[in-house]
Amino acid sequence: MTSIPLNDTDGAGDGGRSGRTTPQFSRPAGRFLGRWELFVTASYWLAWLSFSRRTPMGTGIAREFDSLGMGALRLVIPASLLVGIITIFQLASQLSQFGAESLSVRAIGWFAARELGPVGVALMVVTRSASGIAGELATMRTNGEIDALRAMGLNPVKYLVAPKLAALLIAVPGLTILCDALIVLGGWLGSVAILDVSTRFYFDQFRQAFELRDLFIGLVKSIVFAYLIAIVACDEGINVGGEVHAIGAAASRAVVYTVLGVLGADTVVNAIFYFIPILA
Amino acid sequence: MTPVFEVRHLTGPDDAPVVFDISLLCLRGKTSVVLGPIHAGKTMLMRSLLGLDRARTGEVFVEGERFDAAGESEERLRRLRTCVGSVFQGAALISRLGAIENVELPLLEHTSASASEAREAAAQLIHEVGLDIDPEATPGQLDRDEQRRLALARALALRPPVVILDEPTQGLHAHAAAELDETLARLQESHGFGTLILSHDPRYAFGRADRIYVLAGGRVVESGTPEHVRECGSDVVSRLLDRRGAA
Repeated sequence: MTSIPLNDTDGAGDGGRSGRTTPQFSRPAGRFLGRWELFVTASYWLAWLSFSRRTPMGTGIAREFDSLGMGALRLVIPASLLVGIITIFQLASQLSQFGAESLSVRAIGWFAARELGPVGVALMVVTRSASGIAGELATMRTNGEIDALRAMGLNPVKYLVAPKLAALLIAVPGLTILCDALIVLGGWLGSVAILDVSTRFYFDQFRQAFELRDLFIGLVKSIVFAYLIAIVACDEGINVGGEVHAIGAAASRAVVYTVLGVLGADTVVNAIFYFIPILA
Repeated sequence: MTPVFEVRHLTGPDDAPVVFDISLLCLRGKTSVVLGPIHAGKTMLMRSLLGLDRARTGEVFVEGERFDAAGESEERLRRLRTCVGSVFQGAALISRLGAIENVELPLLEHTSASASEAREAAAQLIHEVGLDIDPEATPGQLDRDEQRRLALARALALRPPVVILDEPTQGLHAHAAAELDETLARLQESHGFGTLILSHDPRYAFGRADRIYVLAGGRVVESGTPEHVRECGSDVVSRLLDRRGAA
């Protein structure tokens, strides 16, 4: 057997933070604090993974990105196009009562970038992946894999949660930009085919109404949503109970809490923009 | 001879103790077996002495280095866990990783090995435990015997002075179990690590243990050499032997 010298393990390799990982499994201070602690620890490992060259997790992030991000494309692409068409119909229908049908074209750009894109993508990712993340981690815990990691002196948050967080932080904003573009495209399809609007008029109106700031705000939201999805779903999975139905229950809770979390966070952000207009 | 691994007065876990005042030791290159029926507290003993569940009281010594089973910091527990190889009941391999990744994981985390050195060492370990498998195969693609051998390779990755195995042959066909046992004995002889086996199978205890601890109701009720334990007339041992004979 090849002899490889042991590193000094006293706090090495994890910045001495491994002690912070244990309480979240025993959860002494309630669910909220447990999630906050997971948020802090996962953020630490995310930073570590970003700057460390010495990690086997590069492949882990790629694998998670493939599963959580690329895998969502077949849902996000058609759904975004349909949302674009539906939105333009609804806007045109309401605004036609005031003879302002053409304003629907102006509205779709910023509405897609600020609201529909980030929230739509977040909900699609939740629908597709939150239960999967929670179920996977819950199964690993039930099978003793998480204990096996700890028994090897490895930090489960570093190896299981941080790669998923990293993948979602790349995938969700990326999917949001794609979704924004496809909503605008869907709106164009609906406008040209049904509302008899010319392509030139559509994109002229879009250019006049859309600002890069809209896209930026949407992307900030999508980063918040990615964090929420990763932390809540992972927390539900890692802290699963030992009952027969626990894995299924954890997966269900992950979906419920992430949906509520995404909509709650969106409400807070919108309220901030409403009450502090200078930020909007 | 100085014990390579020793447990003194371990009671745990802290919140609801299942094992009480356990003291045992394991010598370098020798095999100690904790023999007890199902639900005697064997798995909980393993969890408590690795610090996976914090003990209420007790000390663990690895090559003379003392660890407080009840109040050690996470950093010290990490140190303890790198000195003790562990094979869990059911192998507990990381299902999302390939076979070779499972073995190289502790090497990449705890040693200064480069990725290629870790991979080479992992491949060698897989060969040493008698596995001839696709290194990229996930645990789900391996049969139970291969999973156990892979878990053994992973446990040996850091060359620990002691390896703890929880029911290593449970669920294996008799022939596969005997072969795994032979592999373990061969590796133990070549590497010189001490082995602590937790088992309900008296075959281990009386076949190849150097020292036996009989566990019942979370307490060690008898201990000594196989000959001593066989002749002591313990009810627990008699029942286990009768069951084994009936099976």
